[in-house]
Amino acid sequence: MFYREAGQFKSSYKEDQAVFPILQDRIGIAILLLVAFIGIPLFAGDYFVGAIMTPFLILALAAVGLNILTGYAGQISLGTGAFMAVGAFSAYKLATFSIALGGAEATLPLILTILLAGVVAALVGVMFGIPSLRIKGFYLAVATLAAQFFIEWLLVKVGWFTNYSPSGVITAPPLVVLGYEFHTPAEKYLFTLTFVVVMAMAAKNLVRSHIGRGWMAIRDMDIAAEIIGFRPLQTKLTAFAVSSFFCGVAGALWAFVHLGTVEPEAFGINRSFSILFMVIIGGMGSILGAFIGAAFITLLPIFLNNVPPMIGWNIGVDMVAHLEFMIFGVLIIFFLIVEPHGLARLWTIGKEKLRTWPFPY
Amino acid sequence: MGVHEIKPGDVLLAVEDISLSFGAVRAISDVSFDIRKGEVRAIIGPNGAGKTSMLNCINGFYHPQQGTITYKGQKRSAMKPYEAAAQGIARTFQNVALFKGMSTLDNIMTGRNLKMKSNLLTSMIWWGKAEKEELEHRRFVEDIIDFLEIEAIRKTPVGRLPYGLQKRVELGRALAAEPELLLLDEPMAGMNLEEKEDMCRFILDVNDEFGTTICLIEHDMGVVMDISDRVMVLDYGGKIGDGVPEEVRTNQNVIDAYLGGGH
Ligand SMILES: Nc1ncnc2c1ncn2[C@@H]1O[C@H](COP(=O)(O)OP(=O)(O)OP(=O)(O)O)[C@@H](O)[C@H]1O
Ligand SMILES: [Mg+2]
Repeated sequence: MFYREAGQFKSSYKEDQAVFPILQDRIGIAILLLVAFIGIPLFAGDYFVGAIMTPFLILALAAVGLNILTGYAGQISLGTGAFMAVGAFSAYKLATFSIALGGAEATLPLILTILLAGVVAALVGVMFGIPSLRIKGFYLAVATLAAQFFIEWLLVKVGWFTNYSPSGVITAPPLVVLGYEFHTPAEKYLFTLTFVVVMAMAAKNLVRSHIGRGWMAIRDMDIAAEIIGFRPLQTKLTAFAVSSFFCGVAGALWAFVHLGTVEPEAFGINRSFSILFMVIIGGMGSILGAFIGAAFITLLPIFLNNVPPMIGWNIGVDMVAHLEFMIFGVLIIFFLIVEPHGLARLWTIGKEKLRTWPFPY
Repeated sequence: MGVHEIKPGDVLLAVEDISLSFGAVRAISDVSFDIRKGEVRAIIGPNGAGKTSMLNCINGFYHPQQGTITYKGQKRSAMKPYEAAAQGIARTFQNVALFKGMSTLDNIMTGRNLKMKSNLLTSMIWWGKAEKEELEHRRFVEDIIDFLEIEAIRKTPVGRLPYGLQKRVELGRALAAEPELLLLDEPMAGMNLEEKEDMCRFILDVNDEFGTTICLIEHDMGVVMDISDRVMVLDYGGKIGDGVPEEVRTNQNVIDAYLGGGH
C-alpha cells in the first residue's frame, strides 16, 4: 500500500478542508487514538502510564498553548511556567472556595474548576500581553520573563494563595467526576488524555479558522495585517488569552492529576524554558509539533538513562545529565538556524517524499 | 456611511490641500485631487515624488498634518488602517507584503477577514457554524483564484513563489475584500512583458466586471496611458499635472519633470 493522494479525489472544498485530508493519515490517527485510549491503559505498566505518559501529555498541552502564542502569533514568551502556575493555584483556590461555601458534596464540578482555572490564567495572560502592542521580539521576551518572576514571587509571598500553609506546598483535592474517583495511574492518564485530545482538536480548529489566519498574518507582517483589517491589539491579546488558557489548564492538570500537590516550584523558569524548547524542537506553528517536541524532551532523558547500559556502555549519572544538555543545545541551535519548523516539518517533508515514492516523477 | 448613493462618475474620494512632512522632509505639499467612482485613476511621478505617501494617507496609514480627505461624502478624521479597510479600501504594496509563512489560499483568505464573524468558541468547535462560514468564503476565494489563473499554486507557501506571481497573489488578497476602492502601488514593477500584459488585463477586468474603482501608481508610461481614465502627476510632493492621459502627455511641466528627473 502506497502513501498516496492519487485516486482520492476531493469532490468538495469541505473534504479538501478536512483536518486530515488523506485517507492514510486518517487511519494513522485512528490507530494512534485506539492505542492511546485502550492499548496503553490496558497493557502498559503503572510506571510508564503514570510517570511518563501523563506528564508527557500535560506538557504537550502547555506546548500547544505556547505554540499558539509563539509559533502562530509570533509573540515570544518566557512566562509559560507562570501561566501554568496561575492555572494550578486558581484551580486550588476555586476548589477550596466551593468547599467552604457548600461543603464537600456541593463542590464545583472538577472539570469546571479546571476550565475556570484556565480562564483565570487567560485573564492574567491578557494583562501581561498588553505590552506586546508596543514591544516585540527580545524586549517582549524580557517583559514575559518579568511576568514569570513576578507571579512566582507573588505566589510564594502572599499566603492567601496557599491558604496560609506553612510549607507553601498543598495537597490537591481528589479527582472526582460525577461521584467517580480517578485513582489509579491508568484512570488519571485517561482523564488527562481526554482533556488533551479535546483541547488539541480545538486548537487545530482555531488555527485553521480566520482567527488563526489573523495570528499568522500578524506574525508574518504586522503592518500588512493591519492594513487588510486585522486589529493588532485584539489579535495579539486573543493569542495571549488562548495560549494562557491552554497553559493554565495544563498547570491545573499538572498539580491536580500528575503531582497531587500544588507548589510554585513546579512552575519555575526552567519549566518555561523546557516548554519553549519543545516548541522549537517540535516545530513552530504546528500543533503536531508540540506533541513531537514534548515527546522528545520527556523521552530523551529516559532513553539516555536506559539505552547505553543496555548495550553495555556504562556512563555515569552526571554524564547522562551532560549529554542531555549537549543534545538539547545542539538541536535547538540546529532547529533555530536550519529548520525553524522543527521535527514536524521534517515529518511533513518525509511524507511529501513518500507521496511520490517510489516513482519520484 | 454617506447619506446619498454614489453613482458611477461621482466623486468617491476627494483629497483637499493635504500636506505631509517627516521632520524636514516634505513628502506631500498642498495637493488636491479626486477619484471618481468606477474610474481607473493613475498617479505618476519621479522617484520620491510622494506617490506612495499619498496612498498611505488615503488608507489611514499616514496622517497628513494639513488638509482633508472626504470619502463617500464624509469628511474623515484621522483613522486607523483597519477602519479604512472596513470602509472598503484595499491595497497592494510597492514591496510585496504577503504573509510569507502561509499558502496562496490562506493569504487570499485573510482578505476576507472582515467578513468572517465566527468567534473563538464556534471556531474551536468548528463543526457547524464556523465550518459553514469557512466554506462559503472558500468558494468566493476559489473564484478569485480562477480569475487570476493561479489554481496550480493554491497550496504553495507564497515565500516560494516567483516575484510576478507574488504580486498576483497580493492582488487576489486585496480583491478578496471586495473593495470599493482598490489602491495598487506599482503592480507591475519588476515584471516581464507577458506578466505585465496579464496584470493589465486583470486590472481592467476587475474595473469592468465588478465596477471597482482603481487608483494605481505606475512607472511604465505605456501602461499608464493605456489603461487609465485620468492621470495625476506629482513631483517633489507637489501636483504638477492632472487630466486625461493625452493632456498629461503634452503638459510642459510634466515633460520637464521627467526629463529633469532622468527618466
Ligand atoms: N516613513 C517615512 N519616514 C521618513 N520619510 C519618508 C517616509 N515615507 C516617505 N518618506 C519620504 O517622503 C518622500 C516621498 O516618498 P514616497 O515613498 O511617497 O515616494 P514615491 O513617489 O512613492 O517614490 P518611489 O517611486 O521611489 O516609490 C521621500 O523623500 C521619502 O524619503
Ligand atoms: Mg513608492
